[in-house]
Amino acid sequence: MRNGGDNRGRLLLISLIVTSLFLITLDLRGVSVINGVRNGIQSALSPFQSAAATVFRPVGNFFSDITRLGRTRGEIAELKADNDKLRQELINRENADSELAQLKSVLDLAGKAKYKVVSARVISLGSTNSFAQTITIDVGSKLGVRENMTVISGAGIIGIIKVAYRNSSLVELATDPAFRIGARVAGSQEIGIVSGQGTQKGFLQLLGNETTLKVGDVILARGSKNNRPFVPGVPIGKVISVAGAAGALTQTGEIEFYANAAELSIVSVVVKPPQSDPRDLLVPAGPTPVPVPTVTIYATPSESPTP
Amino acid sequence: MLDRRFLISLPIFILVFIVQEAVISQFNLLSNGFSLFLIFTLLWAALGNPELGALTGFGAGVLMDLSQTNSGPMGLWTLIMILTGYAISYLGYGDYNFRSNPISLVLIVALAVPITRFLYLILGLMFGSDLGSFLQVLRSLGVSAIWSVAVVPLIMPAVTRLHNNLFRDKSNI
Repeated sequence: MRNGGDNRGRLLLISLIVTSLFLITLDLRGVSVINGVRNGIQSALSPFQSAAATVFRPVGNFFSDITRLGRTRGEIAELKADNDKLRQELINRENADSELAQLKSVLDLAGKAKYKVVSARVISLGSTNSFAQTITIDVGSKLGVRENMTVISGAGIIGIIKVAYRNSSLVELATDPAFRIGARVAGSQEIGIVSGQGTQKGFLQLLGNETTLKVGDVILARGSKNNRPFVPGVPIGKVISVAGAAGALTQTGEIEFYANAAELSIVSVVVKPPQSDPRDLLVPAGPTPVPVPTVTIYATPSESPTP
Repeated sequence: MLDRRFLISLPIFILVFIVQEAVISQFNLLSNGFSLFLIFTLLWAALGNPELGALTGFGAGVLMDLSQTNSGPMGLWTLIMILTGYAISYLGYGDYNFRSNPISLVLIVALAVPITRFLYLILGLMFGSDLGSFLQVLRSLGVSAIWSVAVVPLIMPAVTRLHNNLFRDKSNI
């Protein structure tokens, strides 16, 4: 077997490659046995993921803080050993508060538009094996979640249910390069298509040219036929740059997604759409204008002018 | 002999797969972090002979294909991991292998990780997957190599010891 060159080794290698090509062919032809095995694996894994999310998510967020901000480093150095337990409790409490705030936010959004939702915890942040951007949530077909349902957070759209397992679901994020969503500009109602780019920014292409796209315009989901996969009116993001030369057939621009799945632990799945289109009801409120005090000085002329 | 080795390795790979899917995916690390399972598989393959490397790649590839986050067709990871497992064990086998030097083993495995992911990307494109931002992909591949350089030395002693204990007759690191 020196240098792997004997017949047995070659035969094994060829057999394995042929098997893998056979699997690819089966998958591309849509053989459902493979999906069944994948569903079974996910059903077996979801309790482990839920348990790991409970234990490691506070630690995961802690690492995230370090890589992104680096602010907590000094505080950690100052902590004493006897404060460790209290500190852990504090982290858990902050995590719970954060989840509560996210839940309240998403329920506010859903309530305003009269969406019927099922709330879920994020139990996995996708995989490094794949370039696809996904998250796994802890609700599945058992609670009425089906494929192609819209997933939202308090800020706006997160993605759609790609696969619904019994106790968990895989969500394709709006930032995924394969993600496409019909959109409209709040106010002007101009319609277009938003595509994911693999980052927190998306690409918007308007289909018409009646109005001018502006930086700061709010982009909402247009909604799909029978509200699957997209329910109407969900905020997607806001325009941060406009491209395209004057006189171009269509306008394009870059948008920033409102929701950032990497920072979320609570999301909601829209299981029943509203009876009517909420139109621009869910447009996020802009910053409250700060009143500028105006000072008025009244000058009263004296009766006898001074020399 | 090969069957026995494959069957002995299988529970270990399933355990690492569960750790990858349930624990590592909880950490929000720079550029999606690292794939412990991929690193472990390549390291394991590098310590064996080419036949075992291909078989290891096959088993690991099937598990990666069955991952719920896998976006490509079933069998794509299997194909890539067979080739990578065979190639890395082929390089590490024989009289002038890189396994005798731990540093070269770290570097080869760290290099194999982005190459494997790049192969997946190229073959995925051929099967109709979307590439996304080129810079993002480039960054992800680069960062995965850096993560591998950091992670491989940490797990290498445990993996080599485990490998030696299970297959004492062939491993020589």
